[in-house]
Amino acid sequence: MTHSDPKPEALSRRALLKGAGGVAAVGGLAATAEARSVTTLEPAPVPTLRGEVEVTLSINGATQTLKVEPRTTLLDALRTRLEPALTGTKLVCDSGSCGACTVLLDGKLAYACMNLAIDQVGRQVTTVEGLGTPEAQSDVQRAFCAEDAAMCGFCTPGFIVACHAALERKPNGTLDELKHEISGNLCRCGTYPHIFNALQRVQAERQVASQQGSKKGAK
Amino acid sequence: MRSFEVKSPRTLREAVLALPDDHGPTGARLIAGGQDLLTVLKDDIEQPSTLVRLRGVPDLGQIVVGKDGAVELGALVTLQDLADHIGVFEAQPALCEAATSIASAQIRSQATVGGNLNQRPRCPYYRHPAVVCFKKGGNTCLAEFGFSKYAAILGGGPSYFVHPSDLAPVMLALDATFHLVGKGGARAVKAREYYVLTDVALDTESVRRADEVLTKVTIPAPPRGMRTTYNKFKERASFDFALAAAAVGVRIDGGKIAEARVVLGGVAPKPWHSPEAEAALVGQPMAAEAWRAAGAAAVKDASPLEHNGYKIHLVKGVLYRALESLA
Amino acid sequence: MPREHRTADPSWGPRADLDILNRDIPRVDGPDKVTGRAKYSHDMRAPGLLYARLIVYPRTRGKVESIDVSGALAVPGVVWAKALKAAGANVFYQGADSVLAAVAAETLEALDDGVRAVKFVVKADSKAVVTHKGALANDAPVVARQRDAQSNISGLRERGDTAKTEAALAASDVQVDLSFEIPVQHHVCLETHGQVIVPDERGATVYASSQAVKGEPQGFAGALGLKQSEVRVITQHMGGGFGSKFGGGIEAQVAGQIVQETKRPVHLLLTRDQEFSLAGNRTGVVARVRAGASKDGALTALAAEVDRLGGLGGGSFAALPYIYKVGEMATKMRSVHTATDPNRAMRAPGHPQASFVMESVVDALAYAAGKDPLEFRKLNLPDPIWQRQLDRVATELGWPAHPHHTAPGKPDARGIARGIGFAVSAWGSSAQDNAKCQVVVFPDGSVESRTATQDLGTGARTYVAAIVAEELGLQVADVEPVIGDSDLPVNVASGGSVTTGSSAPAIKHAAHLAREALEAKLEAVLGAAVGGYVWKGGHVHVKDDTTKKLAWKQVAGLLQEPLDVTGSFQQSLHAGSIHGAQGALVEVDTLTGRVNVLKMVCVQDQGLPLNRMALRSQINGGMVQALSYALMECRVHDEATGYLLTGNLESYLIAGCQEIGELVAIIDDDEERPTLCGMAEAPIVPGQSAIANAIFNACGARLTTMPFSPDNVLTALHGKV
Repeated sequence: MTHSDPKPEALSRRALLKGAGGVAAVGGLAATAEARSVTTLEPAPVPTLRGEVEVTLSINGATQTLKVEPRTTLLDALRTRLEPALTGTKLVCDSGSCGACTVLLDGKLAYACMNLAIDQVGRQVTTVEGLGTPEAQSDVQRAFCAEDAAMCGFCTPGFIVACHAALERKPNGTLDELKHEISGNLCRCGTYPHIFNALQRVQAERQVASQQGSKKGAK
Repeated sequence: MRSFEVKSPRTLREAVLALPDDHGPTGARLIAGGQDLLTVLKDDIEQPSTLVRLRGVPDLGQIVVGKDGAVELGALVTLQDLADHIGVFEAQPALCEAATSIASAQIRSQATVGGNLNQRPRCPYYRHPAVVCFKKGGNTCLAEFGFSKYAAILGGGPSYFVHPSDLAPVMLALDATFHLVGKGGARAVKAREYYVLTDVALDTESVRRADEVLTKVTIPAPPRGMRTTYNKFKERASFDFALAAAAVGVRIDGGKIAEARVVLGGVAPKPWHSPEAEAALVGQPMAAEAWRAAGAAAVKDASPLEHNGYKIHLVKGVLYRALESLA
Repeated sequence: MPREHRTADPSWGPRADLDILNRDIPRVDGPDKVTGRAKYSHDMRAPGLLYARLIVYPRTRGKVESIDVSGALAVPGVVWAKALKAAGANVFYQGADSVLAAVAAETLEALDDGVRAVKFVVKADSKAVVTHKGALANDAPVVARQRDAQSNISGLRERGDTAKTEAALAASDVQVDLSFEIPVQHHVCLETHGQVIVPDERGATVYASSQAVKGEPQGFAGALGLKQSEVRVITQHMGGGFGSKFGGGIEAQVAGQIVQETKRPVHLLLTRDQEFSLAGNRTGVVARVRAGASKDGALTALAAEVDRLGGLGGGSFAALPYIYKVGEMATKMRSVHTATDPNRAMRAPGHPQASFVMESVVDALAYAAGKDPLEFRKLNLPDPIWQRQLDRVATELGWPAHPHHTAPGKPDARGIARGIGFAVSAWGSSAQDNAKCQVVVFPDGSVESRTATQDLGTGARTYVAAIVAEELGLQVADVEPVIGDSDLPVNVASGGSVTTGSSAPAIKHAAHLAREALEAKLEAVLGAAVGGYVWKGGHVHVKDDTTKKLAWKQVAGLLQEPLDVTGSFQQSLHAGSIHGAQGALVEVDTLTGRVNVLKMVCVQDQGLPLNRMALRSQINGGMVQALSYALMECRVHDEATGYLLTGNLESYLIAGCQEIGELVAIIDDDEERPTLCGMAEAPIVPGQSAIANAIFNACGARLTTMPFSPDNVLTALHGKV
């Protein structure tokens, strides 16, 4: 593999030449200056974000520009920095322990409360709102309704997103495998058995659909 | 969280130079996946005014599997990518077993190898924003005479947390090497020497200096015939840190255990290599009697506190089940 | 309406005739919930909204020296910050009394900075008083808040004849002596307590997460300095209540104050750790029970000492003997107070605890007497309903072929053991007779069913529509349910499992009145008198003459203006008292202490099922909550300082996917009462008891300390190290 920055060994020689065993802050800066003289210059200072910043994110396929601070989590951005707010993604624990804020980042499951909004530049963010509407639900959403997998519904958006991803990663997964995929989501009302039924219902529907698809010879 | 600025270094050198020289609660911190760091900030354990984004630094995300089964993992490899990697699974399955056992899919997709190895403890006192214990500059360990259910039974004192990483015990069992780059240059540290007990340091869990970036981990080719596994026992199977864990390797020769590796998790402030358990296994048939003996040896010098004596039984059980699965 | 036209009183009718009820009805709000369109209190926004947060002292008892909010007021974006206790004030307990200050700001980031900038100094009391032991210690300060409280014990009640009971105990053929410890449990509503208050022309609209929307204006009016008529409270959706959300607490009071002083809309929800420290809890218990039985299997004696740990509150524990009958009984019950958040009703308050104690005792006596625990129960529950339900549970779990009946099993060569255990439930919900429902039929055929009930996930919204649809021969989608608004006709608070039993008869009555009113109009068109019609499939026709019929829109078209009727509670449609039986099949790994609940079964009756799918969800949900309580839930404070160590969802464990094996929810169709009642609480009562009994059956370890987490199971199996 290659490194585009100077090899670590080069930096080490630099430090040794300076003759300092310790690494004082001043020495650090000087090392930078010296390093500049032998390596390719990085002319600009390290890009830094501070204070209130404007970021452009791709959320559910649409470009949105919003004002956030570097510390603003994606969850807080979705729920309070968009107009209109996207409140489908819920705040429950704010610490990556419960799954209520589950979204997809480039198709991968993530907790919106555990990711910074500024870090999502260049990524596709998908929230529950992006997976379907009451009039045009995804098959997972329809299955949740058919199997009564939502009671109070507060955990439901997170589970919908998690189930979508679970079935993408493990389309033919056993129930145990699917449970492992969605184990980062908690439900207090206890709808788990209905969620499991919904997952298996979607699996069966998709298998039938793909069999029919291949029967017709179409793709 | 408190306000911070975020620096996006474009090179490893820029990243290193943005880091502080000493550990301390307000110095700049690296952020990779952020799955531990953000909790540290939300719990107000550290108050960095600058985060240094490692994700923009190239060449830290590689997974390389040699023909001999040696594995190299860049520090930015996500836990999910590691868990899914067929090549790593064929060469060193314990790495994938550990990765897939960690947290949840949502965390694994963003969390990184480097972040997992360098994460801070989960002790409920340490994580409580109002508590000032030894590790936060205070003068006591509240777990020692307080609620000690999750506290260390080995290697504890003055502080009694257990190291929460699942990759760490496996790294020790597989004799991995951690590669660091700091202002003073590059160095390689054996996994077995990376973590420190609390009589060595309280404000950190490893020898990594504040200005050093863990860039990659290299795991040597396993000895021929060595079978390894990671058995993580969680209080809540769905989603939890280890209540106790065992990274285990055995090589059988002529019907007897010729070589054994035993490293325990969830029992000490660092991943706990147990030469006692290994000695109890070597030379024995791969059978229940040896597995029981290994467990007994592993906990022989354990010092339980008021509420964590059950870990002595649990470690024996977890080690037994790990060995059983390799039979 | 002329008397001679009045039909018979409303009745649910034969189940075979029902087209919609007693079937699986998909929730009408399902589509909104699964797409993120359903709006909860947390989600409400308004122009000029302020985000507010309480600041809470993290320990238990102390004296306030200073609270300084000036730093908060200096943060850009902070609009309001006030100390809520004066210097010199006491903090008496961890709960509402721990609220020191609050801040309101225009963004969450400013709020965060503002909260952090509030500086308080509280001199902590030397004793935190957070455990049973701590509360009873000789040098424990009195934390109980009853007037003239001399100790942390209150409400001592002794019942029964001690001498007779001791004699009966001594004379019994078998005896057991069990000591129990049940920790405090939390509701863990995923949506924390709180509300968004929006001042408006009328006064204010409050979006509250509430189980009692009709009564809420009373509390909020006080908090807002408004008349009750000026306050409208709305709860369209709520993220869990489980008994903890009857009336706003300190979070409502403070939000009201901020609205009054800023004149702006305010969003104040508890943070997750605050939800754990001041939103109520289920009573913990320390108990000792000695009981005896005859060799024939009759329960002869029971002597119990029960301490309720309800924090500052009195705690709840259902009366003993719980469900079973005992020859002689003597009980001593009391509240032991700690300086912690008072208990609040939590789904079947006091019942799971009493079930755990009683069913463990009954189970232990069965084995002590060498009897099959299933037969022992049937012997002591002569009610044929329980007999039938227990047998069904047993069959479902494979009890007949299970190898260990009268003595527990032993682990196999690998250390694994399997066992089965049983427990029963009973519930007698009384309905409240003030429930009303308004049905409006518009001339264009649209229909509304309107009542101030709330749907906490129970499915109430769906039957508010379904009952009317059934009556008028329509589909559920043809009736718009309008609920969750205090401006609507009065309905009950959702507690005690009274909602369905109170509401459904009122909805039915309203639908009945609407039908009668329409039939009165039809007489001139189709000829039959009121009571002479059949409403089915979107049409109405004269009984026995399908040639005389109209489609629904044509019927509605006969109206000159909307038909508007209000129904009220009908006793004839409701009857209380329900039975349930549960069982669990567990696998115990005796090397690690892991308990896997492989299967749980519940047979539950409740009279007429309105929506079988929602019922099964309630039953499954009850089993899941009991399983979670059994295996892992445990509140923990640091004894010395009072810090809450389980104030987040990482350290307070609730069950996730991988804890859930096979759950079988069986609606007991063998009982065919023509009435219904609510059953929300019954299914949560016996689960942990069945699991404990299954663990004993598996390996002989009698778990009397909850939860049955690996540490406690290993200690029970191998002793404390």
